[in-house]
Amino acid sequence: MEHPVTPNEARAALDSIDRGRRQVIDEIDLPRWYWFGLALGWVALGVITDLKHAWLTAVATFLFGAVHSSVAPRVVDGRHRSHRVSVRRELTGAQTARLVLGGIVALAFVTIGGSLAIAADGARHPVTITSIFVAVIIILGGPQLLAWVRRRVARDVA
Amino acid sequence: MAPARFDELIHPSTRLSLVALLAAADWAEFAFVRDQLDLSDSALSKQLSTLEEAGYVEIERPVRDRRRRVRTRLTDAGRAAFEGHVAALREIVATADPEHALA
Repeated sequence: MEHPVTPNEARAALDSIDRGRRQVIDEIDLPRWYWFGLALGWVALGVITDLKHAWLTAVATFLFGAVHSSVAPRVVDGRHRSHRVSVRRELTGAQTARLVLGGIVALAFVTIGGSLAIAADGARHPVTITSIFVAVIIILGGPQLLAWVRRRVARDVA
Repeated sequence: MAPARFDELIHPSTRLSLVALLAAADWAEFAFVRDQLDLSDSALSKQLSTLEEAGYVEIERPVRDRRRRVRTRLTDAGRAAFEGHVAALREIVATADPEHALA
């Protein structure tokens, strides 16, 4: 059977298709404001917890959870970094949301554990100190996590 | 997997890159596609018109923040044609290099 293009031309076309996919995969990310907002909220919650008013901490935690729940569904899947493109769900799957939300749960445990350890050492504001440390992890580590997701998606579609 | 079908309309390089990009997205703004493919507005409009006439893409003009934007997306027919074309290209490569195809 005669083909409309040579195998080399077909290979070049497949390479071009792969480049097109990668241009969209490069857009898998969370908006920068999400990481900064999360970090800021984390520190605010830490400061409020250190005030040692149980009701205030409860209200702040509820508000933090409510705001995050209203924002997260729109961004944590990593498909809408900007308003310029919507990455197809088949590319990202559910792994981005699972990683981000799993990371937040892990950081909550880090905050609790770190605060208890620092409090045992006699620090006056253990939760604030730990929250600042966690906020730095969020700001620096969040984009790194998404960069890893992009590499993984690119490898999977190759 | 879509049946292999070489598509002459999709195959030219600019159009192939355009369709490949749209195949990975639910939709993309005109400006995003233009920037990624390094095309002029008129060149991209021309390619999109050809694909729209074939029923392969849809062009939408949603209003957001009082600004009119242009979004484009692959139709189901466009996606099926693209997947068939990719399958056809893979078949051609596999015919020439069967060992590579099995790897």
